[in-house]
Amino acid sequence: MQHSFTIADRQFTAWLSRAGDGYCLHVDNRPVPVSLQCGGDGACVLHVDGCRHDAVVAVDGDVVHIHLDGATFAVRYTDPTHRYADSASAASDDVALAPMPGVVVAANVRCGEHVEAGQTLLIIESMKLETAIKAWRKGRIATLHVGKGDTFERSAPLVTLAPAEAGER
Amino acid sequence: MRRIESQLNVGSEEFRTRERHNRLLATDLKERQRRARHDRPQRDVDRLRRQNKKLVRERIEALLDPGTPFLELSTLAANQAYDGEVPGAGIVSGIGIVSGREVIIHADDASVKGGAWYPLSVKKIVRTLDIAIENRLPVVHLCDSAGGFLPAQADLFADRHLAGRIFRNQAILSKLGVPQVAIVLGHCTAGGAYVPALSEYSVIVKGTGAIFLGGPPLVKAATGEDVSVDELGGARMHTSISGTADYAADNEDHAIAIAREIVGQLKKQEKWPLDWARPEAPYYDPSEIYGVIPTDIKQQFDMREVIARTVDGSRFHEYQPAYGTTLVCGFARLWGYKVGILANNGVIFNDSALKGAHFMQLCDQTRVPMLFLQNITGYMVGREYEHRGITKDGAKMIMAVSGAEVPKITVICNGSFGAGNYGMSGRAFDPRFLFMWPQSQISVMGGEQAANVLADIKVRQLARAGQRLSQAQIASIREPIQEEYKRLSSAYYSTSQIWDDGILDPVDTRNALGVAISATLNAPISQPHYGVFRM
Repeated sequence: MQHSFTIADRQFTAWLSRAGDGYCLHVDNRPVPVSLQCGGDGACVLHVDGCRHDAVVAVDGDVVHIHLDGATFAVRYTDPTHRYADSASAASDDVALAPMPGVVVAANVRCGEHVEAGQTLLIIESMKLETAIKAWRKGRIATLHVGKGDTFERSAPLVTLAPAEAGER
Repeated sequence: MRRIESQLNVGSEEFRTRERHNRLLATDLKERQRRARHDRPQRDVDRLRRQNKKLVRERIEALLDPGTPFLELSTLAANQAYDGEVPGAGIVSGIGIVSGREVIIHADDASVKGGAWYPLSVKKIVRTLDIAIENRLPVVHLCDSAGGFLPAQADLFADRHLAGRIFRNQAILSKLGVPQVAIVLGHCTAGGAYVPALSEYSVIVKGTGAIFLGGPPLVKAATGEDVSVDELGGARMHTSISGTADYAADNEDHAIAIAREIVGQLKKQEKWPLDWARPEAPYYDPSEIYGVIPTDIKQQFDMREVIARTVDGSRFHEYQPAYGTTLVCGFARLWGYKVGILANNGVIFNDSALKGAHFMQLCDQTRVPMLFLQNITGYMVGREYEHRGITKDGAKMIMAVSGAEVPKITVICNGSFGAGNYGMSGRAFDPRFLFMWPQSQISVMGGEQAANVLADIKVRQLARAGQRLSQAQIASIREPIQEEYKRLSSAYYSTSQIWDDGILDPVDTRNALGVAISATLNAPISQPHYGVFRM
């Protein structure tokens, strides 16, 4: 499986392999000999298939900014475990289930209320430990299955969000 | 390896409140450490200066390779003992680099009660040498002690892990082929005389250094013989007549230079070849940990947020992410070293306990050191869980954690209560290192519940004696019990008693763990083998 990159909203895949003393870049099923020498200030000399290019490289997390032949590119790396994950699988999680049996000590939202991701919906207590049940995405409260003072078993539904609409994930 | 996606909202009021709170705790920790390291009565400092002696931290600084990390251990030992008058238990210990070798240092602090050994001083030296044995670390002893503190002799002399253990540990180190270098910078009297004698190499400073079983006053009392310090146990005598010490030095700097040369020619240790990659700073800012830890120990938080701010690149391969979710398990790198992490995310259920035992065996099988991040109130109680065998599942964790051969390192990040402490590699389970965070608490059960039980017993006793108590009287019984319980379960009490190897500022945890993991790799790792797991 090759690495995935996004440049200007276009997906590219590539793989770098060892070849003799240097490296080979595999793009579109074609191996291309490459080499890269970098100075301390981000200035690099890149050789692709024998041609020399001067480049300036700056790394910012998963994004690498490259100035090459008068143009600037932002290259974003996408982890394959994210790229190939089924994005619909998260949407099925409309219900928060109780992580452990316990009692509701606070209900901070009402039915029908719109909530932001990370907003605290309920606070539950179990085994002397308070746990905040937070909105796992933006959405509207469809059902509040429990109220303050209610006890519940493990895996009981606590809150259901209305099915996600576009832009809520 | 994929990166943890932090759910932390650094703009929230909750984050800011927690951050303010925990930064204050870190500042308080730093201040307590500063006092323990540097605040001394002026007369003691003056006395050492008159004797041409360096302070203990000046000695250590001269000994270490400049610019290399030094992981000091148990800085706040004895902070709640002996009326606070024996900072650091009068001993400095830590892991550092001398002439390119990783060593552990034991240094007597002569600015504290003349370097006399209190019971906790003995415990700290024994622990230092236990670390040396477990991790096969060469030792440098900086000896300058007046000897055992006589009024407390009953608490420091006879038992299995008291003073004799220092010398037993030295002999075992030698037997294991782990060298020790002693620098005699003051008097080494009675038991203390054995420290240089049991070291493979010993350097002694002319004039100030001396080694003898009994000092001149004791000799005079015992046999009537009049003898000077130099004649009885000085540098020239021991290096040319008795052969008890090996090298005479003209002054402290000279002695330290000789010791550095000795360490430099020690055989370089071959380290365990643990999978290593070029280190990468965490993607998320470690200082955000201050905003993760709740202000109330009862509030739950996601330990993944701590992992994300501790490991290389915030990358974490989570194992069984949907099973036994109250125990987060997975692999990461720390300063390039591969580690298996077990982190509490709530009460341990049957499935979390099984997952933990299973993951520990996986780490042991693949020779990966384990890092335990504790925040544990205990195992789930109740009929349903007992029927499912919560006790035997907890026992499986204990079997796995006790039997594992790979190095274990434990950080108590918040709560450490009851059997949870056991299953998560508490002190009794021989983690190579155990650190605490300033706000963490450790006790057999949660403070509030325990204090209530204790107070109720007292109230009932009084009631049986015919006394009727008003609410105010009951409260006045309960409150001091609660306060005392709180003190005895605090991180500062734990570290005072040397139940841990020191309190860490959460932000420094990554660096401390880097030094600690590196130290553990000096010891070989045996093949996995276990006792019987109750299935």
